Amino acid sequence: MKKKQTVAEEPGEMIPPGSSHEKGEDEAPVKAKRSKPEEAEGEGVVYHPVKLSRSDLYRPPSADELNQLKEAESLFHCSLLKMQMEELLKEVALSERRKGQVDSFIQTVTRLLQTVPDSPEVEVSDLSWLSSAVKVPFLLVPKTTKGKFHMAPPASIDLVGSYPLGTCIKPRITVDLAVTIPADVLHPKDVLNQRYPRKRALYLAGLAQHLASSSDIGTMRYSCLHGNRLRPVLLLTPPCKDSSSFTLRVHACPPPGFFKPSRFHPQRNNIRTDWYTGSQTPLSEWSEPPTPHYNSSILGDLLPRAHLQFLSAVSSQCSAFADGVALLKVWLRQRELDQGTGGFNGFLASMLLTYLLITHRISNTMTAYQLLRNSLNFLASTDLTVNGISLARDPDSTAPSLADFHNAFQVVFVDPSGHLNMCADMTACTYKQLQAEASLSMQFWDDPTVDGFHGLLMTPKPMIRTSDHVFQLCELVKLQSSCKKLNLLSELMDHSGNYVHTALPFILSLLQRGLGERIHLLTHSLSPEPEWSVESDAPKHKAQPPLSFGLLLNPELATSVLERGPSADSPKAAEFRQLWGSRSELRRFQDSAITEAVLWEGKSMCQKQLVPKQIITHLLQLHADIPESSVRYVGAMVDDVIKTGSEEPSTGEEESLLVVQSYDDLSRKLWRLEDLPLSITAVQGAHPALRYTQVFPPRPLKMDYSFFDRDKPSRSLVPKEGKPCPAYITPITVICHMEGSGKWPHDRLAIRHIRAAFHIRLGELLKKHHNYTCRPGPTHLDVWKDGLVFRIQVAYHREPQVLRESVTAEGLQVVRDNEEAQALEMATIHKPLLTSTLHGLQQQHPCFGAACRLAKRWLGAQLFSDDITEDTADLLVASVFLQPAPFTPPGSPQVGFLRFLHLLSSFDWRNNPLVVNLNNQLTAADYTEIKNDFMASRESLPVMFIATPKEKKLSIWTKKAPSVQILQRVVMLAAESLKVLEQQLMDGGQIQDVRVVMRPPLDAYDVLIHLNVKQVPLLSQAVDPPTVTFGRGVMAGSVTQAGGALPVIDYNPVALYLAELRESFGDLALFFCDPYGGTVIAVLWKPKAFIPTPFKTSQMTARSVEVTGEQVNAIPNVEAILEDFRIMGQGLVKSVEARTEKWSF
Amino acid sequence: MAPSKKKHASNQPCVIPGGFTVLSLQFGSDSVAQHQLYVKEHKVRAEKCSHRPLDRTLFVLNIPPYCPEGVVKDLFSQFGSVQLVELRDHPGSFQESGPKLSRFFKPAAKQGFKVGYIVFHNSSSIKAAKSHPHDVPLVVSTEQRPVRTGVQKWIQAYTESFIQPDKLQQIVDSFMEDYDKRKEEEAEKQKEEAEQQQEDEEGWVKVTRGPKGTKARPHSEAANKKALQKEIRKKKRKELLNFYTWQHRNTQKEHIAELRKKFEEDKQRIALLRAQRKFKPY
Repeated sequence: MKKKQTVAEEPGEMIPPGSSHEKGEDEAPVKAKRSKPEEAEGEGVVYHPVKLSRSDLYRPPSADELNQLKEAESLFHCSLLKMQMEELLKEVALSERRKGQVDSFIQTVTRLLQTVPDSPEVEVSDLSWLSSAVKVPFLLVPKTTKGKFHMAPPASIDLVGSYPLGTCIKPRITVDLAVTIPADVLHPKDVLNQRYPRKRALYLAGLAQHLASSSDIGTMRYSCLHGNRLRPVLLLTPPCKDSSSFTLRVHACPPPGFFKPSRFHPQRNNIRTDWYTGSQTPLSEWSEPPTPHYNSSILGDLLPRAHLQFLSAVSSQCSAFADGVALLKVWLRQRELDQGTGGFNGFLASMLLTYLLITHRISNTMTAYQLLRNSLNFLASTDLTVNGISLARDPDSTAPSLADFHNAFQVVFVDPSGHLNMCADMTACTYKQLQAEASLSMQFWDDPTVDGFHGLLMTPKPMIRTSDHVFQLCELVKLQSSCKKLNLLSELMDHSGNYVHTALPFILSLLQRGLGERIHLLTHSLSPEPEWSVESDAPKHKAQPPLSFGLLLNPELATSVLERGPSADSPKAAEFRQLWGSRSELRRFQDSAITEAVLWEGKSMCQKQLVPKQIITHLLQLHADIPESSVRYVGAMVDDVIKTGSEEPSTGEEESLLVVQSYDDLSRKLWRLEDLPLSITAVQGAHPALRYTQVFPPRPLKMDYSFFDRDKPSRSLVPKEGKPCPAYITPITVICHMEGSGKWPHDRLAIRHIRAAFHIRLGELLKKHHNYTCRPGPTHLDVWKDGLVFRIQVAYHREPQVLRESVTAEGLQVVRDNEEAQALEMATIHKPLLTSTLHGLQQQHPCFGAACRLAKRWLGAQLFSDDITEDTADLLVASVFLQPAPFTPPGSPQVGFLRFLHLLSSFDWRNNPLVVNLNNQLTAADYTEIKNDFMASRESLPVMFIATPKEKKLSIWTKKAPSVQILQRVVMLAAESLKVLEQQLMDGGQIQDVRVVMRPPLDAYDVLIHLNVKQVPLLSQAVDPPTVTFGRGVMAGSVTQAGGALPVIDYNPVALYLAELRESFGDLALFFCDPYGGTVIAVLWKPKAFIPTPFKTSQMTARSVEVTGEQVNAIPNVEAILEDFRIMGQGLVKSVEARTEKWSF
Repeated sequence: MAPSKKKHASNQPCVIPGGFTVLSLQFGSDSVAQHQLYVKEHKVRAEKCSHRPLDRTLFVLNIPPYCPEGVVKDLFSQFGSVQLVELRDHPGSFQESGPKLSRFFKPAAKQGFKVGYIVFHNSSSIKAAKSHPHDVPLVVSTEQRPVRTGVQKWIQAYTESFIQPDKLQQIVDSFMEDYDKRKEEEAEKQKEEAEQQQEDEEGWVKVTRGPKGTKARPHSEAANKKALQKEIRKKKRKELLNFYTWQHRNTQKEHIAELRKKFEEDKQRIALLRAQRKFKPY
């Protein structure tokens, strides 16, 4: 009797989240194989409290040790960070073995390159000398070029870039090799009209043709440096198995000093309009528009050797230079800033550090940790878009001034020669993003309550998880017409026809103007460097992934539907009208001012969320000729799953507000009640709907009496047999604390009866004064008000204490904690407190509630609702908002949801407590204390440990669930969902269906119980909207505020059935169901359920016996159990599908 | 599934080692699967309570959740008239519950498989039950006596959960009356005891052993603890710290040991993280 496969089969340790693998073996098998040993390793090591022997602890210390200890004591927080950084550096540094491989490959390539044969001189446009297997890596637009070209062996071959400098890090090791084109191939006038770049491309093609015949080269591809089409490079990888480990990048350069640097002044023109446009009327040289970007791309080719010399001279004095650059590169890479056009690449990082060194902002003796810190500090505090910096000590007279650079470029960082702006391609937005990231990092670096190391260097920040809203321009070819519309011919010429890079800065500034105060930051993706095989033509400009833009919203202003402009007669009005076009109208406001204004559509919160979308599509259409169809707005795509209402879509904010208002009214009325024996001391809500986090907030309902049976004496409706299950009405729990008094008895049963008496009394009074229909019971009082049901529970603050007290046989009065008392404290103290705290959080972050609801919808859909309870889920989302580092607090429900998934999947639950600092009550000391307590008793604590200010040691919210196995599965599914969802959101090419992540994989379960949809009251909340609907006894029309018969409350057959199943078969199987309209109950046998156990009177539930001699073994009576599933759910169960192929006897 | 089924010839009771007889039970006459009940006469070394007379009580294991007391009583009536049925979650001795509670105030009973103690009027019924053939199943729900499950049962339970406020009030009142009476009695008893402790006119005090657990003043654990702590504090106050050289040296030693420990802890934490490859940035 062996089970073939279940998820919960391994009851072992938690697998570290990073290495957990997706469901099934559809992943690349190689990857799976590699991660196996890691897992085994991770499982083996578990933190144990350190135990040093006495002799070790008390031996006399040496002076060294004493110093070390003292240092660690004074720098406790940062010493751990320092150690972590050292470990990180070890991970990214190149190994000696790898360096050996690189060196030998360089030698091979150098030898090969030196034997390039000469070829006869031909016209540049004549490509006949080139074999058809190799193409020229250049877009030949316009086609005509003058000049002659021939191949010749390179004048010299040098290593440049990060590898010789020692700042090269894993992964994606690239080694730069500069091949100098011999002087006789070039002509000094080649700078003009792309002649030099074309010759260089030809030269590279010649090299590629020569190398193609060699067997020492693995693959050969073309790419271009920083995505600049004028600067193609040849990528070589070594043959055989290490082919992916590193790439050699071959640059072709002119001989040093071949061109005069003064020709490349940002105000000079080097591309003639008549040549570019093909027109016949040459302009005079001085009226030609300047071509700063073209100039700097050629100038960049002249200088790599000089830059290397400069960098090595400066860095040799600072021992930690290489490590500092490596850390900075890791930091940049995690923020997706280091790759692509206009990024802050590794070269700029090295240059920045040398700048700080030579300006004495950092000293030569500093450690890598300090270098990183100082450079981030510098980035955060310096705005290179306004005040550029220069590395040139004493530039010659021909060098341009900083002001010249600022006129031509958005970001200015001048190289040591004084002629080149190294940040020529960078947009102001990218730099602002860099600055924002740096200052954010500086903020949480010093915060002892945040794991700085993780936030700084370990957490990737992809745009979809960083920005609140994201939109994409899908058809980049449309940007060609934008260039026309924006009148950008000379800029287009400067960018050699790359319309994407030409239009981008203008679009950015347009959006920045339009969005104004609504956003904190506008970011955009950096176009990746294209790569293509040597056998194919260079890809077109449009052949790149869609441009993505990220918005960091300002939550207060982003959702406002009104854009109020200047008053009609002010001079700025024209500007306003120009920006907004026909949308701008004259409006008269309440303060009697008449101003220009734009009014956007949006009634409910979920529509208002998308006001930025309206602005963006309107502006792009109006000013850049980009149709709405090519803008893909990813702002609230996931929100669909919690959307209700067809004519007025809403994601529940409005309904929640109604509930809260109705509750406030009830609370006021309770306070005002007189004639109670004891007065009320507190009225507190204890329901998710009262903190805006109920997935589907209760809506006011009006009942159709004819649908129900009636219970006359209690004025209640009763569900009718044979009819569909009536609409589910959630009782909204309200805790009503009564004044403490000597009149309360000191006995658990007596207190219970007194509470019942209070329920009766409260009900009577509410009926008398406000005509609410009430139903008192021993545990609560139900009140029917405004079409909602409130469930009032009277609480007495000393009751938990009374429950804990007992008298032993010896007459000693002892206080013992027990479950009953804990449950009561949970209901009357912790839950109300959490509700009010989170209600406060919602006021600070308007999208908190919606993010919670998305998260809980996902948990429900993946069948985890019973393991990760509502309160736990709310706390997890709260931690995403309270400790956003390294992000900013989420500004849209979608990004909140993504971060929730990320938190679930990446948090190291095994070794860390999750501290949710509600109301900011915890200090750094508290954090240390929590952590130490956690470490000391890890084994006995819940697997998912959440500490809050009121509850630091026990993690009451996660005490019962989830178990190790379930958490493991949650982590795995969260990682997978995150991956799928981010792909869906960012890739417009796929079929758009975000609901994919809400459909649970059911193949892992052993038995599926299909339910009769007629008896599932919440059917309409299902992930996939149902095809059939049933009348559920609800009428349209306005609800009555008071009176009327009491509806059917809290009657949900599915929940009742589940509870019954769990109580009966809880020791044999686990039961899962989506509480929001799930029509399937998934059953999973427990791994140990099928092991025969010896006959024991206490463990015979649903088992049959097997007799072998004197041995009696018990095994589950599966047939009878399956039959019981049917019997117990009569009327609700449609069919029981036993997947017997998954388990065998 | 259970091989024991086939081993025994029909019309024979099936007895397994351990003395239990296996009875089969099915829900309706058309059910395909059967549960197995295990019955045995109730036998314990010392049964203190009179509710389960040893010779007339049948001990039943594995009673399915859809068989409440009434149904079980009906099922076993075929073996003889049943006096009492007691269903419990786990086997165990009879527990005296406190004052009698109305059903609304009882904690919700767990639904699930139960063990039962069935007290017959006649001890011969036990033999009858134990010799019941294995292949004649007991049927829970018959036409004459349908058992409600599923939706029907839930609707019924929902209806039964209603209680009239005045009825509830009555229950509460009667309970509280009872409670007050008990309290009064207790107070009187204590008073009596206290009186007994007092000297009579001639100066004699009556010393009795008294029943267990009724001391005049219940000690509480918290009070005991408080007293102990007071002692410790007192002791501490008298101590001198860092007065002698050896004391001073010891403090320093302790401090260094503490630092060492912390350092080792950090080192181990890092080693642990390294082992989990927590330093690979991407």
